[in-house]
Amino acid sequence: MKVRSYGVVMALIAIAAALAAPLVADPFWMTLITQIYIYGLLALSVDLLLGHAGLYSLCQASFFAVAAYTTAILQVRYGYPTIVAAPAGLIAGTLLAVLYGSAVRTRGVYFILITIALGYIIWGAVYRWASFTGGDNGITNVPPPSVAGFSIASQTAYYYFVLTVVILCAFGYRILIRSPFGLSLRGIKGSESRMQSLGYRTTMHLYAAFVISGLIASLAGVLYVYYNRFINPVAASFQISVEVSLMAIVGGSGTIVGPFIGAGVFLGLRNWVSSFFELHTAVMGAVFIATVLWAPSGIVGLVERWRPGIGKPKDQP
Amino acid sequence: MSNATPSSATMSGPLLRVADIHTYYGDSYVLQGVSLTLQKGQIAAILGRNGMGKTTLIRSVAGLTPPRAGEITYRDMSLRGKPPYVIAQAGISIVPQGRRIFRSLSVRENLLLPTSVLARSSQARNGGEPGQRWDFDEVLKEFPQLAERVNHSGGSLSGGEQQMLAIGRALMANPKLILMDEPSEGLSPRLVLRVQEIMRRLRARGHAILLVEQNLELALSVADEVYVLSAGQFVFQGTPADLANATQVLDQHLGVSGARMV
Repeated sequence: MKVRSYGVVMALIAIAAALAAPLVADPFWMTLITQIYIYGLLALSVDLLLGHAGLYSLCQASFFAVAAYTTAILQVRYGYPTIVAAPAGLIAGTLLAVLYGSAVRTRGVYFILITIALGYIIWGAVYRWASFTGGDNGITNVPPPSVAGFSIASQTAYYYFVLTVVILCAFGYRILIRSPFGLSLRGIKGSESRMQSLGYRTTMHLYAAFVISGLIASLAGVLYVYYNRFINPVAASFQISVEVSLMAIVGGSGTIVGPFIGAGVFLGLRNWVSSFFELHTAVMGAVFIATVLWAPSGIVGLVERWRPGIGKPKDQP
Repeated sequence: MSNATPSSATMSGPLLRVADIHTYYGDSYVLQGVSLTLQKGQIAAILGRNGMGKTTLIRSVAGLTPPRAGEITYRDMSLRGKPPYVIAQAGISIVPQGRRIFRSLSVRENLLLPTSVLARSSQARNGGEPGQRWDFDEVLKEFPQLAERVNHSGGSLSGGEQQMLAIGRALMANPKLILMDEPSEGLSPRLVLRVQEIMRRLRARGHAILLVEQNLELALSVADEVYVLSAGQFVFQGTPADLANATQVLDQHLGVSGARMV
C-alpha cells in the first residue's frame, strides 16, 4: 500500500511539473522537452519487447519512420487533412509491424540480426526511392496538425497535445503490462519453454507484443513528424533504433518512466555536450557503459536502491 | 459445475502409453526404444544414473524433445507432433528438474500463470472432477509456507519453498498427469519426506505421476511400478518389492548394494 502511494505521488508530481513547464521554460527548453516525450514514447515501445518479453528488436525506427513518412506524404504531396493523414500513418506503421512480426519465429542473436536487416530495408527504401520519399532531402513543409478547423500551430499547444497523448499511452501501457498478457510476457522472458509447458502458445504472445510495440512506435512517428515539420531518412536509420534501446536501458528497462528518463538523459546530454565537445557521441557511449557496469537496472534502479524506508522493488509487480 | 462427469469413465486404455519411442538429443541417440504404461491415479518411477535418459523421457512426453519414432498416447489422443502448449492444455503438467520457477515473478504470479485465460480455455479452467480441483486457496492450504510469502519474488525463496512452488504451480493447472523430474534433488531428508507425503496425497486425489528419481528409497516408497533406465533402455520393470530383491539390477545399474535394501 505504501509502495503504491509512493508511485502515485511521484506520478502526480511528474504530471504537475510537465503541465507547468510551459510557464517557466523558454522555447529552446520547450523544444527539447517535447522531443524527450516523443523519443521517450519510442523508447517505451522498444522496452515492451526488451524489458518485458526479453526480445531485442533493432528495427523500431522502421515503424516510426513509415508512420511519419506516410503522414508527411499524404499531407504534403496529396494534400490530405490531418484527420486522414495521421491515422493513415498509424495504420501504415502498424501494418509494417504485422508483416515484420514474423521475425518472432527466431530467437536470440538471430532475432537481433533479422530485425537489423528489416530495419535496413526501410532505411534503404526511403533513402533511395527519391521520387516518392524525397531521398536524402526528405519531405519538408509538413503543416501543423489541424482538425475540424482547429490548428495546433503554437509550440505550447503542441506541447500539451503531445503530453496528453503520452500520458494516455502511459496509462494504457500500465494496464497492458499488469494484465495477464503482460504477466505472460514476463514469464516468457524468464523461460519460454517453461511457459509452453504451462499451456502458453508463446510465439503468438510475442507476435502480439511485437505488433503493439510497432503501434506505439508508429504513434511516436506521427507525433514526431508534426513536431519536426519535416522528415528525412535519418528517422529510419539503424542509429535511431540503437539510441532508443539505449535510452530504455539507461533510464530503467521494465519500467514506464525509465524510457522517458533515459530519453531525457540522452537528449539533454547531447544538447549540452555537443555545444562544447565535438565527440559527443563518445560521451553517450561512456554513459551507456557506466550504466551497464554500475547501474544495470538503469537510473530508476538507482533511485529505487537509494529510496529511504520501504524496499524490495523486486516484490512489486 | 454439476455436469462434470468424470471423462475418464469413457476412457478405454491407460492414461499414458509410451510405445517404443526413440528420442535424440541433438546427435546423440538417447532413448532407444522405451515403452511404458501408466494408469489413472498411479505413480510410475523411473530410476537410473545420470545421463541414462530420464529427463529426456520426461521431455519426450511433454513435447519439449519429441521422439523421432514411436508413439505416445495420452487419454486415447496421440501426442505425435503436438507442441508443448497443446500437451499442457490437455492436462499434463511438469515439475521441472532443479525447481525451475520464475525467479523474477512473485509467488502469486507463479501460481496464477497456469490458470490465466491465455493458457487455458474456460472449460478447462472450470472443468475437472469434484474433490480433485486445485485453486489458489487450495494450493496455499496445502503449502502454508507459500501463503506467508505470496508477494515475495520466487527467487527469494529457499530451495525447499521453491520446490513446493514448482509443485503448487503444476497443480494449479489441475493436471491428470504430473511429470516430476527429480523433486528430491538437493532437498534435506526432512523435505524429501514432505515430497513423499505430497506425492501420496496427489495419488489419493486421482493424479497420476511419472516420477524420475535418483533417490531410490523415495521412489520405492511411493511408486506402484518401477522402471530402471540404463543407456536409453529399460533393464528392469516391476513392483518396488521386485526391485528390492533384484540385487543384480541394483548393483549394476543403480550402484547400490542389494544387501542395503534388505
